[in-house]
Amino acid sequence: MKKLFSLAAILILFNSAAVAQKYSTRDGYLYFNPNKNQSNKEYQAASKEATAVLKVETSEVALLVPMKTFHFNNALLEEHFNENYLHTNKYPNGKYSGKLIGFNKDMLTKDGVYKISSEGEMELHGVKKAFKSPVTLTVKGKTATFNCEFTVKAADFNIEIPDLVKPKLAEATPLLANITFPMNL
Amino acid sequence: MKKLFIVAAAFCLPLAALAQDDLLAELEKQDSAVAKENITIATFKSTRVINMNSTEITGLNNLQFMIIHHFGSLWDNTESTGANFARLFGMNAGFANTYMSFDYTPVRWMNLGFAFAGDINLEGTAKFKIMRQQTGKRNYPVSIAWVSTARVNASSKEPPQDDLVWNKFSYLNQMLIARKFSNAFSLQLVPSMIHYNLVPYGSANSNTTWSIGIGGRMKITEKTAITFEYNRQLNNYENVIDKTGEIVSYSPNLISLGYDWDTGGHIFQFFFSNSTFASNIPQLTVNPEKENIGQWCIGFNLNRSYALKKTVKIE
Repeated sequence: MKKLFSLAAILILFNSAAVAQKYSTRDGYLYFNPNKNQSNKEYQAASKEATAVLKVETSEVALLVPMKTFHFNNALLEEHFNENYLHTNKYPNGKYSGKLIGFNKDMLTKDGVYKISSEGEMELHGVKKAFKSPVTLTVKGKTATFNCEFTVKAADFNIEIPDLVKPKLAEATPLLANITFPMNL
Repeated sequence: MKKLFIVAAAFCLPLAALAQDDLLAELEKQDSAVAKENITIATFKSTRVINMNSTEITGLNNLQFMIIHHFGSLWDNTESTGANFARLFGMNAGFANTYMSFDYTPVRWMNLGFAFAGDINLEGTAKFKIMRQQTGKRNYPVSIAWVSTARVNASSKEPPQDDLVWNKFSYLNQMLIARKFSNAFSLQLVPSMIHYNLVPYGSANSNTTWSIGIGGRMKITEKTAITFEYNRQLNNYENVIDKTGEIVSYSPNLISLGYDWDTGGHIFQFFFSNSTFASNIPQLTVNPEKENIGQWCIGFNLNRSYALKKTVKIE
């Protein structure tokens, strides 16, 4: 009976520890500039409201960004982004779910910069597509920041670009994700 | 021992369940639990429906430059067909009205504009976004905006010459009530009041002219739309004594049909309208009678906006 209790106690502890090993954030940063000329400031857009979660034990990650939280410098471009290209009323969120490759939980306890990668599935404009990209993990004290630079092709996600606009836009839009998890739990 | 295993298994269950649950589903659940503001955007493509303002307002920290151009009338009855061909249906008739405006939005709900309104007139406009059509957290069925314009005749020759400067002013106050019924179809109601500080003396003349209008747009594709507008002047249009002392009648109807084309950077609005004036104040008060289609004109609005303050930065 004593044995049983100690086992139960261990299991409960282990369970709660497993729950605690999940980090989340509500202010993930995503940035992109669809213009061919990356220094064109009119086209700069960013969201600071991406939600993300990391499960340390399984190296699983997920990210969700409400598309309407992307704000452009030029408000007219923002309107087009929502109305004509991403149809954000119909497809309100951009999503990613996948795994971190080359990641282990010890990285989170030691300050440093780690080169890892992520593989999974991305959903944009209602279209799902396999995703793979290198990721830089920076651990500093009680924060873990994941940096990821990747590109997205509009055609891959059924985003129609009129011929008149095409020459202005980059063939593949470079995106920047900057997700910081506080680890105060 | 058997019992022990069962207990152990029971405790392991939540662990197994946790390992399986989808992180993304968790985020989606979180996201849908938050009450959202679904604010309707792009009720109209531009800050104008055709002639009238729309409930749209230039984006925050953006400067919009707009040119409104009304050509001459389509067909001149007093001229021959050849002459009318030479006039290129009003487009090269040696007569046109142009309105050039700069509109800046310093705060989300207010736009301030300055315009060279044509014919030696200047206009200053303030436009307020009072209500935004939305669902979710709050439910508002319509968008409401308010426009106030002051117009001054800057001419030094126009009578009254040595009159008080205030007599050169006129004002427009307009309420815009719009609803986006579907992605393609929007409708707007426009009651307006125009006040002239000075009007020629006469029994039918009043300083204040009232009118009511309706406007709408129907999208054809993502980038193009058909628009229409009808304004009805309610007083001051029949047997009015004008500046020269003559008794005249104005057209109480202002009708326009248009085509919106959004190129991505610019917004072009081509239209037919029965007024060659480019500014709302003369359009809604002293529009000469133009009953037949030949006296209509071709025109266009063109606008482009620039981000003056860059708030988005690479982090």
